[in-house]
Amino acid sequence: MAVQKFGAEYAEVRAQSLSKTMLTLKEGRVEAAKQGIEDGVALRVLVNGAWGFASVGSLDAVILTSAVSDACKMAKAASSRLKTPIKLAETKTVEDRVHVKPKKNPSEIRMEDKIKTALSVNKAILGFDKRVKSCTIDYLDLTGTSYFVNSEGTCIEQDKLYVWSRVTASAVSKGVFTFSREEIGSTAGYEVFDIETPELIGAKVAKRAVEQLAAKSPKGGTFPVVLGPNVVGVFVHEAFGHLAEADLALSGGVLSSNLGKKIASDVVTFYDDGTISGAFGSFKYDDEGVPAQKTLLINDGVVTGLMHNRETAQKFNAEPTGNARAEDFRVEPIIRMRNTFMAPRDHSLEELVEGIRAGYYFKSFRGGQANIDGTFQVGIQEAYEIVNGEIGGPIRNASISGNTLETLFKVDAAGKDFELWPGRCGKGQTAFICDGGPHIRLKEVTVGGSA
Amino acid sequence: MAVLEKDAMLYLAENAVNSALAKGAAEAEAYVYEGQATSVGIERGQITKSNRIIDRGLGMRVSVNKAIGFAYTNIIGSQSAIEKAIVKALSAARASKPDSDWNGLPEKKPCASAEKTFDRKVLALRPEDLVDTASVMLDAAANADKRVFPIEGGAGAAYVANAIANSNGVAGFDKGTVIECSLAAIAKEGSKVTPVCFEFNAERSCNVNAGWVGKEAARLAVSALKTKRIETKNTKLILTQFALQDLLYFTLINAVKADNVQRGQSAFKGKIGAKIASENVTIYDDGLFQGGLRTGAFDGEGAPHQKTLLVEKGVLRNFLYDNYAAKKEGRESTGNAARAGYLSTPSVEATNFHIMPGGTAAEELMSEVDDGLIIYYLQGAHSSNPVSGEFSVVATPAWKIKKGEIVHCSRGVMLAGNIFEVLKNVSAIASNDRKMGQLISPWMLVENVKVIGK
Repeated sequence: MAVQKFGAEYAEVRAQSLSKTMLTLKEGRVEAAKQGIEDGVALRVLVNGAWGFASVGSLDAVILTSAVSDACKMAKAASSRLKTPIKLAETKTVEDRVHVKPKKNPSEIRMEDKIKTALSVNKAILGFDKRVKSCTIDYLDLTGTSYFVNSEGTCIEQDKLYVWSRVTASAVSKGVFTFSREEIGSTAGYEVFDIETPELIGAKVAKRAVEQLAAKSPKGGTFPVVLGPNVVGVFVHEAFGHLAEADLALSGGVLSSNLGKKIASDVVTFYDDGTISGAFGSFKYDDEGVPAQKTLLINDGVVTGLMHNRETAQKFNAEPTGNARAEDFRVEPIIRMRNTFMAPRDHSLEELVEGIRAGYYFKSFRGGQANIDGTFQVGIQEAYEIVNGEIGGPIRNASISGNTLETLFKVDAAGKDFELWPGRCGKGQTAFICDGGPHIRLKEVTVGGSA
Repeated sequence: MAVLEKDAMLYLAENAVNSALAKGAAEAEAYVYEGQATSVGIERGQITKSNRIIDRGLGMRVSVNKAIGFAYTNIIGSQSAIEKAIVKALSAARASKPDSDWNGLPEKKPCASAEKTFDRKVLALRPEDLVDTASVMLDAAANADKRVFPIEGGAGAAYVANAIANSNGVAGFDKGTVIECSLAAIAKEGSKVTPVCFEFNAERSCNVNAGWVGKEAARLAVSALKTKRIETKNTKLILTQFALQDLLYFTLINAVKADNVQRGQSAFKGKIGAKIASENVTIYDDGLFQGGLRTGAFDGEGAPHQKTLLVEKGVLRNFLYDNYAAKKEGRESTGNAARAGYLSTPSVEATNFHIMPGGTAAEELMSEVDDGLIIYYLQGAHSSNPVSGEFSVVATPAWKIKKGEIVHCSRGVMLAGNIFEVLKNVSAIASNDRKMGQLISPWMLVENVKVIGK
């Protein structure tokens, strides 16, 4: 009603009721076992072509009514100097209820058992080798329901379920400190620990920390490299994915002028897919009520599409792709990736490595970042030399950097294997995502090293 | 919506503590938070949106047989929701494992008052006022140069209050305001697009300089248009506050946290009294710095904020402690327990990490550089090795200094090294102190850093 009074063109309400469990263990000490409950509502309205957004941590009717009038007044104020009013692409209205059916619902697992799982990871790490001196295990599960209603008639009830853990370890020997990290993440359920067992993940993290103790610093310069699926994932996400977010493309990013053009070698095909069952970046409807889909971004080197919300889809005269996501009711939906990956081709790892006389094999990443001009950086936590066509000894603290549009043409071969890795992406708010691909070879890339 | 009064927030906290004790907690601590924020957002050159967020909640920490449980709720208008959170905190503690190093919650201690952290005028700001602030910024950028395109930014005003109470009699209330504006801009010339150049100003009282932010973001973007390659070599760098904040947050600041030292996660273990930086470097952690962005009367568990000498003329003097890490060594907390609102338990964090300014004006520092780079924005600092301090990052971009003047910028320049070596090679510190998040710092001149050109 208040919406009509203020003459809003569009209005939407997102009400959420969420429960979280969190754990932090350091060297097997449970720092605190944590549980939380949060209810809240996000209101978004379009008045005179500008957005007004109000978030309140309450489901109380009186508070909500005042939040609606707040949102409309805010939008009106924001519209005062608007030159280009915002419009939304049309979408089908949806009425649906989406319920998750996990084999093991984290909300039904006792806190004691969650602590037990974390302690098993801890034991696998600290028991691996005496030189492993510390480990931190973070655990989070989030369950709840999100209700989405908009003024066009869409009405969606959708369960939320996330299980996430980050495991880090460090090893020390003779004044050398090393550091190793893994994350697991799932929207399927607590059964993720039946595949990623505590013993497996613990050993993986500890082994890397120990191996790195004997690693050398890399030489800085330009080298041919082979990237493992884990590094390919973050490369696809950082170096290309962010540029393919339509809001960043509109903001002067390098992709807006390259739609339909060839910007990569023939072996490069990228997708952003919100429909992979159980993957950390999957969901049925985004936070504008648009169904998630599998979006082809690059096909055989040619840019075929961008990731859209309803606002950017209208600007590009495209279909919304279901990429509008909000971390929770405290923030508005923005364009985010889901599960972003490179499609596999036909090479084996041996074939990728064999032609390289002096280069590097980058197997696992530590972090990555990108800039709108196409500059990217990926820090590496596990790497090896390649000498005369064979993988050699470990190197540490390397990173790669380059410009997306130059680097994508340098992908000269891709493997037939495929892995998808869970992660979190920051763009003012946090989104749960996956990224991945096969092994690939880059003819050359800048490697940052201090030797 | 009107803000919660001091008495109401303290009452909620003290009541929750009493209820937890009655339900069987050995110790209890309640933290009540209120945040109200209004902002306007700029997208692609125009103001397109306005947001208002009201977030309140209560976080409850209890101990039962030296095992710690925590629960939170944001439904603080309902006594039954609060009681439910208390029960959840207790059940979490009972499910958890005892910690033999747990020596109790903080004791009651007198707090100094925080100065210049609250301005009533900020509370009264309407969205229309923030639209004006953002417009001043946009106009300043547009008038500076036609090639500048502001991509995002905005202006915001926030009120934050917290109350804390524990079963040792700690009871505190503190409130503060922040007003800020920021602008990210690129410059375009033909098909050339610069990296994103960013400026901002955040203050506790109602006096941000929006015109300066717009002008400065535009100046940086335009100066990034002229690019030239540079060679791979060891060179001098001026690190501005942006670069320092990125590099130090993941390395140096981690190394001075007592919990990391105790866990063998710090390169500074056993180094108190040792020379860890050039004698030009003196650093305080100052939770009472007048008008500092992290200034407040007390920390996330009610321990008084203070000024702690960390590095004195290059010599390591102290670490940062919360109550837990301090009691483990039989010491006093330095007031460095931080919280992410009501959603988290406290953890060790710097307040205002203050690198003391030197006597050289920034322009003078620059004029003395014959051949070097000035670094603003970095990519990839979060992939540094937090324990060893090794980093491998890319400057987006790096600006070349020749004979004391910026001559061009260079893209894709990588910097690699070890932050602890960098600190030993600080040859001068400028006098241009500036607040940036938890960092308060001037520019630093550093010798002999490995730079990989393209």
